[in-house]
Amino acid sequence: MSKIILIVDDSESIREVVSFTLENEGYKVLVGVDGKDALKFLDGRLIDLIITDLHMPEMDGIELIRNVRTMDTYKHIPILFLTTESQASKKMEAKEAGATGWIIKPFVPAKLIAALKKVLR
Amino acid sequence: MDKFKNKFIEEATDNIKDLEDSLLLIENDISNKDLIEKIFRSMHSLKGGGAMFGFSHLSDFTHNLENLYHLIREGKKTINRRILDVTLASIDHMKVLLTVDNVSDKSIKLRHGDLIQQVLDIIEGTNDIGIDSGNKENLNQQNSIKSYYIYFEPEQDVFKDGTNPLFLIDELHTIGTCKAFAHLNKVPEYHKYDVTNCYTYWEIIISTEEDVNSISDVFIFIEDQCKLEINEIADFDIFTSTIIIEQISALSQERNDVGVSNIQEIIKRNSIFDNNLEEIEKAIARSGPLPSVKENVISSIRVSSSKLDQLMNLVSELVTTQARLTLFAEKSGDSELLSISENIQKLSRQLRDNAFDIVLIPIETMLTRFQRLVRDLSKELNKNVIFVAEGADTELDKTIIESLTDPLLHILRNCIDHGIESPETRKKLNKPEQGTIILKAFYSGANVHIQIHDDGAGIDINKIKEKAVQKGLIQNDTILNKKEILDIVFLPGFSTVENVTGVSGRGVGMDVVKRKLAEIRGEVELDTEINVGTTLTIKLPLTLSIIDGLLVKIDNKRYVLPLSVVDKIFVTEHQNVVNKYNNLIILDGDQIPFYYLREEFDLPEGTQESEQVVVVAYEDRKVGLVVDEVEGEYQAVLKTLGKIYKKQEMISGATILGDGTVALVLDTNKIINKFSQVNLNIKNKEI
Repeated sequence: MSKIILIVDDSESIREVVSFTLENEGYKVLVGVDGKDALKFLDGRLIDLIITDLHMPEMDGIELIRNVRTMDTYKHIPILFLTTESQASKKMEAKEAGATGWIIKPFVPAKLIAALKKVLR
Repeated sequence: MDKFKNKFIEEATDNIKDLEDSLLLIENDISNKDLIEKIFRSMHSLKGGGAMFGFSHLSDFTHNLENLYHLIREGKKTINRRILDVTLASIDHMKVLLTVDNVSDKSIKLRHGDLIQQVLDIIEGTNDIGIDSGNKENLNQQNSIKSYYIYFEPEQDVFKDGTNPLFLIDELHTIGTCKAFAHLNKVPEYHKYDVTNCYTYWEIIISTEEDVNSISDVFIFIEDQCKLEINEIADFDIFTSTIIIEQISALSQERNDVGVSNIQEIIKRNSIFDNNLEEIEKAIARSGPLPSVKENVISSIRVSSSKLDQLMNLVSELVTTQARLTLFAEKSGDSELLSISENIQKLSRQLRDNAFDIVLIPIETMLTRFQRLVRDLSKELNKNVIFVAEGADTELDKTIIESLTDPLLHILRNCIDHGIESPETRKKLNKPEQGTIILKAFYSGANVHIQIHDDGAGIDINKIKEKAVQKGLIQNDTILNKKEILDIVFLPGFSTVENVTGVSGRGVGMDVVKRKLAEIRGEVELDTEINVGTTLTIKLPLTLSIIDGLLVKIDNKRYVLPLSVVDKIFVTEHQNVVNKYNNLIILDGDQIPFYYLREEFDLPEGTQESEQVVVVAYEDRKVGLVVDEVEGEYQAVLKTLGKIYKKQEMISGATILGDGTVALVLDTNKIINKFSQVNLNIKNKEI
């Protein structure tokens, strides 16, 4: 069965690039526009991985990660966040909130897949 | 990992084929975006998969091609003849890369470099630099494989962030040849054990072209959550030396931590001898035997099958000669000679059993071919079929397995083509969309049964009957039971499918399957139910060449009955077995049907007062065979009767007796089957 990945980003283009890449690799993709929107998917259904942006309206990525880590069902699932290299402090913050790893923007599909393969089979 | 690797090879072969098809199509339609997209995708999956499953050459190679097609996709380049030629040549080369693990052959190596250069030349022909420039570097580094030692101990709560350390180790496998030793000695006692914690730590040796940075990149997500140590241990690929790897493995089993210094020691000790086996052995002897070497006892050897055939032949000859010796010893009455001959008889029997055991191989050996066939065929026919094997460790004579493969392949083809329905039809019938074919093998007495069951459409009995009447195989008014109707399928010139497909209609019918199986003394039976499925059962003898037999005498001629079917032997009076209306005899309180073999063989009626009834198993019943006299047990070396008698069915072969005469080995099942039919026909005529 193909793995299900939840993508959370407020930028439509990023969402599209990521979905396209992942769907090409055979993953199933769910899309949320921000942290709050993403929470509606976390209703007990099977999700194998979350990829989230950090800066988003309504609820940002760090808050989303903290939220997810309190949910019994999703406590242990891998979470990758999207970040630019310049945000080293954010990186630490997200890691401390419970993120598994990160994907550095801008990225090429291969890099995205490589990062994803570190946490998902 | 190997399993995935094989799967990848299968997929990659498909991918390469797709690629080839698309390229041939695009030649006539160079601006077709869909095709370019498809080509790009195929290359992409080849590259990605190649890297994941250790085909780094394939991956690197495809990487360049992918870059080229990326430019084409972006409209920065247009496809021309040269590109197509180079790509097609590259595809041929990719096929080669799939079959070899490392590019060591000189001609392959040359071609590899040449093609990469050609692709790079084409790419560089543009002004655009939208590709990463790392490829050339990779090329130059190709031969500089180094080996590293990695110590990796994640923090105990590593799982809490969704990290799976095993994935990281998997990732290491993608960047080079790698062997990981997991250490469990930090796992606490049961009552202190927290299942959400990770207690395992790893020592990994890896040989790769990548540098330390790329290795530590693997652990980038958890670099602050683990103890990580990466040391270069050798400037060559240590996996080329099995001795080094074996010693490291042995050491890792012996103690919890191998440690970088120990590994360096092992490498140093072994590399000075330049892989010269003799010297290494000497060195080991000098430095005191290593535990690993001491325990390394050869547990199996490979022998060419022709040698085994020869062994079996010799054992057969020995058994025949031994029979002669026994006879001679009995005649001479010399007690010493008798005891020697008895000993030899015992030894030759043991030798025979042992030799048989050697040539038995598990049917597992042929399963891969079946699996592949099911996979390919179901794909070709757009069906969804899973192949399950049970009892794969059941053993059969090598020669039987060899002659069994083709009939089984044919049967499987039939199952997929005619048995399993298309997913749509199955859905309509409320069956799971995925059809199942089960191959089940098990022992039953002196036989091995192989059952092939599919949960497909089944066979319509009435259709068989109609067809058989049409083809003149049976009369319109012939009354047959289900089993007899199903047996028609095995008659020559019978095929119910009107439109012969390319898959199972290869002009080989079930009659050929039956004939092939009969050559190895196998029997085949069919059972089916509409929409539930079909089961085909093949009964095979355990071995072909020597059987334990019962030597009997009829009209002064000797015959052998297979001992495996003999149940009991009774003595009975002559009048009990002749001129009986119903051919039934009461033995041990049971009514048992019998055949008076003199009568069945058209021999004159016997004159002696008493005869012997050998009760044999026939299907699930017992049947008596009346013979003049039972002489005793006999090891019969089976010889075929030759071409002229190929068509006869009652005799499975002949054997040479101790006195040099020939005895026929009777196939009791066939005999009884035949006699019962003959009698039935006579009775029908009388009525």
